[in-house]
Amino acid sequence: MPLLLFPKIKATNLNPEPFLRAYYMNIAGIGIISTRGRGIDSLDIALRQGWIAPSQTKSHSNDQNVFYPAYRVKKETINDITILKKIRRADKFSKMAVMAARDAVIDSGIQINHKESEVGIILATAFGPHVTTFRFLDDIIDYGDGSVSPTTFSHSVHNAAASYISSLLNIRGPTVTITQFASPIHQSLILAKAWLTEKRCKYVLIGCVDVCGNVMEYICNQKLRIANDGKIRPFNFSASPSSVPGEGSVFFMTTLENCQNKYCEIIPAYITNCDTIEKSDINIIEADGMAGDETSYQNTAPVDVFAGGYSPIFGSMKIISAFHCTVSALMLKKQIRYACPVQDNPYDLNLITKTESAEIKQICCIRKNCANKTDIIKLIR
Amino acid sequence: MKIFITGIGGISAAGRNITEHLESFQLMRRNAGTVSLFDTFLPYPVFEVKSPLINKQKNEMRTLSLAMSALKEALHDAGLQKDFSGIKTGVCLGTSVASQLNDIDFYRTYRNTGAADMAAVDRFLKGNLAEAVARSIKASGPSITVVNACSSGADAIGVALSWLRNGVCDIAIAGGADELNRVPLCGFGALGILSKFLCSPFDRDRSGLNLGEGAGILILETEEFSRLRGKKSVLRLAGYGAAADAYHLTAPRPDGSGLESALRKSLADANITPQDVCFVNAHGTATHDNDKVEGIMLEKIFGQQIKFLSTKGYTGHTLGAAGGLEAAFTATALREGWIPASAGFVQQDENIPVRPITEQTQINGSFAVSTSLAFGGNNASIVISKDQGNQPEP
Amino acid sequence: MEDQKEMELPEIRKKLKELLVENLSLEGIKPEEIKDDEILFGEGLGLDSLDAVEIVVLLQRNFGIEVKDMKEGQKIFYSIDTLANYVYENM
Repeated sequence: MPLLLFPKIKATNLNPEPFLRAYYMNIAGIGIISTRGRGIDSLDIALRQGWIAPSQTKSHSNDQNVFYPAYRVKKETINDITILKKIRRADKFSKMAVMAARDAVIDSGIQINHKESEVGIILATAFGPHVTTFRFLDDIIDYGDGSVSPTTFSHSVHNAAASYISSLLNIRGPTVTITQFASPIHQSLILAKAWLTEKRCKYVLIGCVDVCGNVMEYICNQKLRIANDGKIRPFNFSASPSSVPGEGSVFFMTTLENCQNKYCEIIPAYITNCDTIEKSDINIIEADGMAGDETSYQNTAPVDVFAGGYSPIFGSMKIISAFHCTVSALMLKKQIRYACPVQDNPYDLNLITKTESAEIKQICCIRKNCANKTDIIKLIR
Repeated sequence: MKIFITGIGGISAAGRNITEHLESFQLMRRNAGTVSLFDTFLPYPVFEVKSPLINKQKNEMRTLSLAMSALKEALHDAGLQKDFSGIKTGVCLGTSVASQLNDIDFYRTYRNTGAADMAAVDRFLKGNLAEAVARSIKASGPSITVVNACSSGADAIGVALSWLRNGVCDIAIAGGADELNRVPLCGFGALGILSKFLCSPFDRDRSGLNLGEGAGILILETEEFSRLRGKKSVLRLAGYGAAADAYHLTAPRPDGSGLESALRKSLADANITPQDVCFVNAHGTATHDNDKVEGIMLEKIFGQQIKFLSTKGYTGHTLGAAGGLEAAFTATALREGWIPASAGFVQQDENIPVRPITEQTQINGSFAVSTSLAFGGNNASIVISKDQGNQPEP
Repeated sequence: MEDQKEMELPEIRKKLKELLVENLSLEGIKPEEIKDDEILFGEGLGLDSLDAVEIVVLLQRNFGIEVKDMKEGQKIFYSIDTLANYVYENM
């Protein structure tokens, strides 16, 4: 049988839309855990405070003088005694995700009808619970194949966090954990919209989590350029940008229904070129040193549009888009432009240099991912 | 909107392609043995893929090699070349092992010296399953690697179905792949759910699962796209349902309500009733808990006469690949008109009100179901149908 | 002999309580707060099936004891007392 080609199907038939209005969802609630604390209010404070130096962790190497900077989530941030008993065995990865997810549900004010399996969960991660995986490898090395901890193994699987969220919040709809280096947040948003349109569920808890750790920080030091002074510079558009590893979790409670206290609408695009981006009030440049060459960000910040970039607050993460979406949602809800935490501006962009009230209708979050594509998320009031 | 299954590919210990699998099923061939892929004293039988093509790939993760092998077969089956440039193509694949940086030699060196060669890390970074496959076929559309433990492959197919129905892509490559690896072998052993004997799904004396490895992939297309390129198929992806147990990290919900919810949703999604289903390819891992919960639920929903089987007696539990492989087997069985005996079953468990088929059986229906129950409490159900009206492509 | 057994059992109970609190991440409980006849599963300490297999590994690592059949585990793991007696008899 001859192999069939695609004789009648050309690229022009494919409707390469930059944005589909039809992809919109409402953000009804947000939960966030980052190096600067827990919750939307702590994010507001952090954005007003500006840049803070990362912590320095001593490397595992024999060289006593090697330290790795990282934006880690502090222990007390995830020490929630109201739920700790129920998630007593959970590692940091799962704890961050559970707390961010729970906060998103509470923040939304939505009363879930558990019997109807109304809520689905989509959890994205780039590297999963690697700290726990390495702890499990410790067990194998130290105790042998036959004497390893089943609890550690159970938490080394990527979907452990989603399982905890489901159990703690009694969420029984469809649940998917995805792992992605290139576009974890965008893929999650597109899938969530598909689920909501199909009425697989009424709400989707879309979220992400990634965690720091000694091994990963060592790997970042080998594979990336680390900022010696601890500052990520989003607007330098360097071919080999500097990074500082970060960790945290963000969750959005999304729905197609109109909610009174919603933050904004959120619209992902997965096929785009920058020329077709509609004009926004703010373009957020998600450069953080994690995805390689950042020179192509240069054409993403027209002079008549404000430019923002908040990676220096959170650290470098494959899931940084979710954090920028959270900042955007907060700006839209509060009608405040937050000053960029690091304002090095060699290309003379129209940077947001001070925190002040403003009329903001839409924000574009722009991410050049490691697959050399541009991901755009638009947020509209 | 009809979603066509135009290509099927599969590789496991039971066969390097679907044809070899059918032979293994007919002969009730169970290719299990002790672990040979790495050194271990653990005595559990495993189902390894014995293929020189897979074994010789050193610069990529074994899981990716397995996936590419199944993909090659599926593409050929679908009459497609390996270049999808300009086509809105989605890639959704499930896995568990390939998502982890778990190279023990890398970690041991790092632990001892504070430094290690980056080769294992590079393999991991290049080896995100869906991203790697999308790159290799130049797919420009959505791509997701699903890591839902044992239901990853089934959930990946479910994601692709959502994409296709919503116009996110016109064609999708969906399924799952996983390699045999020390981490799950040690982990499942510590949980006490690996058997020292060949597994016996649903059997009274079942004593746990055997791990396996492999990949199962479907090529899925919208009816319109398939018509535009002139490809016919009688097989459809008719429905998908998923539900979480919300119960426990490792144990399934005893009342089976998560599985029940997933099953009923998938039937509703396919717009059919339980009576329309001619057989079920069950998850059937041969653990005490899974088979009891699943067996009770199969009887509750489909009645005692339902024909069902577990193919894990031929492939082992292939974790992230299981849902993809079993969807491939379900589709193939509908097309071929027969289902294999459920290998390993001898004696009915008095706590399970149904028994799987013990002989190769002809089937004549239009709809079949494949179920997957996962660690962490995910439950997935896929409905596949055969269009009795159309003639298949010669 | 009986006196010797009575001397070692308290140490075993103490060690078990410490191991359980630390390895099962029992939040807000101190080892000394666990009673000797405290029921480990269900309504007592509230341990579950994952804790049960973890205890098997703890026994292996700390006392060199194998639990061959998890069905006998239900009796062994009933309380701190039954667990300690099992450890003592199989050390």
